[in-house]
Amino acid sequence: MTSSRAVRALGIGAIALGALAIIAGSPRKPVAPLDVATLAREVSDEADHVTAVELARWIRDRKAGLRVIDIRDSADFDQFHIPSAERLSLEQLVSAPMGKGETIVLYSGGGAHAAQGWVFLRSRGLSNVYFLRGGVDEWLEEVMNPQLPRNAPAEERAERDSVAALSRYFGGLPRSVDSLVFTDRHRDGQAQTWRASVARTRGRGC
Amino acid sequence: MMAPFFETGAGSYAAALVIGIAFGWFLERSGMGSARKLAGQFYLTDLTVFKVMFTAIMTAMLGVFWLGWLGVLDVSRIYIPETFLIPQLTGGIVFGLGFALAGLCPGTSCVAAATGRMDGLSVVAGMFAGVLGSGIMFPLFERFYEKTPRGAYTIPQLFGSNDGIVVFAVVVLGIAGFRIAERLERRSIGT
Repeated sequence: MTSSRAVRALGIGAIALGALAIIAGSPRKPVAPLDVATLAREVSDEADHVTAVELARWIRDRKAGLRVIDIRDSADFDQFHIPSAERLSLEQLVSAPMGKGETIVLYSGGGAHAAQGWVFLRSRGLSNVYFLRGGVDEWLEEVMNPQLPRNAPAEERAERDSVAALSRYFGGLPRSVDSLVFTDRHRDGQAQTWRASVARTRGRGC
Repeated sequence: MMAPFFETGAGSYAAALVIGIAFGWFLERSGMGSARKLAGQFYLTDLTVFKVMFTAIMTAMLGVFWLGWLGVLDVSRIYIPETFLIPQLTGGIVFGLGFALAGLCPGTSCVAAATGRMDGLSVVAGMFAGVLGSGIMFPLFERFYEKTPRGAYTIPQLFGSNDGIVVFAVVVLGIAGFRIAERLERRSIGT
């Protein structure tokens, strides 16, 4: 009899909690309205993105809570992606579970989709969100195939050597050049698509 | 501090071990290591499986909802598996057939195996062989596997309602289901 009463009480309790859930509506705390002025300031201060080299350092140093998200399609992802990256579409990004303690870095082919994804995630109330402004191209050029000045001024040599070591860590091929050829190469119209760059990187073997 | 407390590392493994042992213990104590008891589900003579599983679903659902509402649990960090409609319907049919044939499902087969039952051990061996085989043959049905994707789709999204209404509906369905189950069991004892 006591057991039957306990079961009845549990049933009534469950129904009461269920009925109250209708009033409560959602188990999620309401997100504060999007503060557009703050977003604009972050964009203006360039606090919205990371460089490929910064991202590479975070990955290498296993930054706690780092989550790298590739928002290109699966074919592009399968062909090449940044180490440790996971793939999510822009639509999935809107509802994918993400923790407040995570540092999220988005990247796309160029930078436009990743920047849009940044706005989506910031509007979800997430604060540690960044995107790779130059996308995969920037990673391939600055991490996998960096062109570093041979005769750098003394104060820049440590950084140059650090980038070269970082590139080798990811299997890249840093090259020494007489000048900062990165800008020259673009000026000469010789910039390559990321697919060509991937092919060049892969062709190198291990 | 908000739950979940452990996502990676030793803490998460320790938590998984404790939860796993508790899950197995309660399954066994509910008599779910017995294929006869589980088969009774399909003959509507013993609906223990339904009652235990739906009690677990209702308890977890109410717990997650209210802990999230109170700010103790960060609901946004709970992983929602993606829905692939046709492949998962097919998988459900295969799973149901296996369940009815073996009289055990994955969790209960482990419980049965742990208590030394040969049928449990056979189902566990078959399950691992199936997992290995489907893993090896995955490229053959990879395209089918990704058909009809719906993303991380939830019941509130399907009905366009808020979470609270779905919670209440599931509770009412569960309680009504328990009443019907008890009645069916009493009828089968009477016959």
